[in-house]
Amino acid sequence: MRGCGCNQGCGVDGRCLILIVCCKTLEMTNKTYHSTKPKEKAKAWQSWWCCSQQSSLSSPSSPPLSPTSMAPSSPKSRQFTSSGLDRGSLSYKRKVCHPKGALHVVAASGTKKTLIMGGTRFIGVFLSRLLVKEGHQVTLFTRGKAPVTQQLPGESDSDYSDFKSEILHLKGDRQDFEFVKSSLSAEGYDVVYDINGREAAEVEPILDALPNLEQFIYCSSAGVYLKSDILPHCEVDAVDPKSRHKGKLNTESLLEARGVNWTSLRPVYIYGPLNYNPVEEWFFHRLKAGRPIPIPNSGVQITQLGHVKDLATAFVQVLGNEKASKQVFNISGEKYVTFDGLAKACAKAGGFPEPEIIHYNPKEFDFGKKKAFPFRDQHFFASVEKAKHVLGWKPEFDLVEGLADSYNLDFGRGTYRKEADFTTDDMILNKSFALQS
Amino acid sequence: MAALASSSSSSSLLFTSPPSKLSSPSLYPLPRLSFPITSFLSSPLSISPSSLPYPTTSTRYSPFTVRAAAADKKTVLILNTNSGGHAVIGFYFAKQLLGSGHEVTVMTVGDEGSDKMKKPPFNRFSEITSAGGKTVWGDPADVGNVVAGAPFDVVLDNNGKDLDTVRPVVDWAKSSGVKQFLFISSAGIYKPTDEPPHVEGDIVKADAGHVGVEKYIAEVFSSWSIFRPQYMIGSGNNKDCEEWFFDRIVRNRPVPIPGSGMQLTNIAHVRDLSSMLTLAVEKPEAAASNIFNCVSDRAVTLDGMARLCAEAAGLPVEIVHYDPKAAGIDARKAFPFRNMHFYAEPRAAKDILGWEGTTNLPEDLKERFEEYVKVGRDKKPMKFEIDDKILDALKVPVAV
Repeated sequence: MRGCGCNQGCGVDGRCLILIVCCKTLEMTNKTYHSTKPKEKAKAWQSWWCCSQQSSLSSPSSPPLSPTSMAPSSPKSRQFTSSGLDRGSLSYKRKVCHPKGALHVVAASGTKKTLIMGGTRFIGVFLSRLLVKEGHQVTLFTRGKAPVTQQLPGESDSDYSDFKSEILHLKGDRQDFEFVKSSLSAEGYDVVYDINGREAAEVEPILDALPNLEQFIYCSSAGVYLKSDILPHCEVDAVDPKSRHKGKLNTESLLEARGVNWTSLRPVYIYGPLNYNPVEEWFFHRLKAGRPIPIPNSGVQITQLGHVKDLATAFVQVLGNEKASKQVFNISGEKYVTFDGLAKACAKAGGFPEPEIIHYNPKEFDFGKKKAFPFRDQHFFASVEKAKHVLGWKPEFDLVEGLADSYNLDFGRGTYRKEADFTTDDMILNKSFALQS
Repeated sequence: MAALASSSSSSSLLFTSPPSKLSSPSLYPLPRLSFPITSFLSSPLSISPSSLPYPTTSTRYSPFTVRAAAADKKTVLILNTNSGGHAVIGFYFAKQLLGSGHEVTVMTVGDEGSDKMKKPPFNRFSEITSAGGKTVWGDPADVGNVVAGAPFDVVLDNNGKDLDTVRPVVDWAKSSGVKQFLFISSAGIYKPTDEPPHVEGDIVKADAGHVGVEKYIAEVFSSWSIFRPQYMIGSGNNKDCEEWFFDRIVRNRPVPIPGSGMQLTNIAHVRDLSSMLTLAVEKPEAAASNIFNCVSDRAVTLDGMARLCAEAAGLPVEIVHYDPKAAGIDARKAFPFRNMHFYAEPRAAKDILGWEGTTNLPEDLKERFEEYVKVGRDKKPMKFEIDDKILDALKVPVAV
């Protein structure tokens, strides 16, 4: 059956009013984008960055959102200009003048020649846009398997073309260390963002190529922390040299040992539109299919999601920031969430009814190679207080808002990375049904 | 202890002090306080404390040696409960204030001669008086007479749980010119949430007694601060906390924990609560009109607490989980902590007062266990009737 895709169960063929309003709202914002007035354009961009979470939060019974409710002056879009972000005068030439009060993550330094290792898949997609907006020269180092740029859902044509015209591409395989060294050395960069590095060996040629590198900014992982009964994980805590993420740890050591000015960010679970790790998508598939959500054990395990846009903002805030020099920062959401709570939050974000949750004992099953649940079956969360205190960074998205943003810009539009696979769900449900009957 | 093997040949380990005795990393994260030790053992990423702009705790709590300047000296009245988990807060707070050169009167609810006064911390009040503090007893409704009309700059009510009890204290304080009113409330008033931790400003249960008190204080005073604690350990505690675990561990009895054992709670050393209160007294403008979660900055799982107590005792532990309903047990009687996530973070204290936590459960529990043995509690004959009922329901054998 061809539903309209609004997920409010309207049953309309083609688009229903709710989806039309949602799209119309974004169309409205698009219209503003085409305005040549920089102030309006900046506000509209800001609205797009933050606004999407509002659309699906209305309950099925409430009237559809009117375009005026998406006005840039709404609290959600104002939220983005938080203290600590606006750090004063711009000291570099810019094509577009950003008026005061609009979104900006003002860099503390001048224009930088920036290289992003990666940048075409998830974090880098958002990070590169912020950096370009700040007036930096940004090159993406990728093999070119994915398109270098793609227009993001809800992104205006003019914003996208601005971005596309500025972004540069260096095509290569980062596993080819000789090529990395020679190509980077030939270009010279002020700052490197390593978003997709896993092993220390991958970073050596970059450091070798750029003796005058001003800053190496690394995307590490909170997965390096040693599992503990005492939580949250803080930057000073013990790390696990045997963890799956030991490559990240080794990279951090290398950076320290090489004496380069490095900064390392440790995200927890990242989510948001374009996520290729089926975090929220896993829940959305089941919610859309009207299926129960199978959650291992008690469901009180606590995890933590961090929105990709907040992570991108943090990456920009550490650029040229003395306080970030040779520092590690956990970056994620301000609040944590139980597994059960996350299922409910995803439902709320997507406008679904409260889900049925089934708990099961994973030990009673052999799922083979399939993953029955997208999170580690343990408490896993990290304090972001250091980033808040030292950098003045603060996540803009709370959980439901962030999930709604992801839903509205990605899954809710019919896009996702992995097909739904309910094999393990059915194993669990069949056993559970068998026990009950 | 083997040096950390790293696949990076050029990693270096920076030491700022020789590592002291270390425990295996698999049991619990190394004490935060021992910064270089953490670096040595597991993290190739070593940063010497001096290069850190971010405040970290590098010294354990030590008695204040800086005396308050005469102009900053405050007269403080602590109205203290005569029993329960919060009683020890007033004791530490009094001693800390005295150590900082402030004038302190501790008014304990009830009679000096009552049996309750034979228990800690009351039986150690000589530590307050020998430091120059005054101790009096009486009825909070009669506070003005009990403290004999002496003027105070600051009042801490560490007693009342409802408006009827605290109102007379607040009214008297206002009318007698008290400038700053502090209140020990409870993190128990937060509404349960799927998104921990409880953070200052989160919704509270409207019908909780403490909530009415908090509201009233905010109406009457302009310089007020409210503190919401959870659980605490520390010498002089009036209520069992870690002892509950020690009692079972030293007797080689299973430790029955309701639910999954994954529930998070916050168990702070009372010195952390005391230091937060002291900061509020010494920074009244910053503290004014603020709520502070009065807890340590780390949470621990219930299972984790059992494990840490066993570690501190140097003994093994057998944890047994049970469903209170299925066993026909009232979990509140059977177990000293809430059977749910009960987890607040002290974000306001850190942001606003510049407070730092020093609680280090692995280390602090070692001290607690030493005292536990010193007073002979490990040898005390005990009955475990409720435990036995639980274990019977689960058919778990108990070593005789």
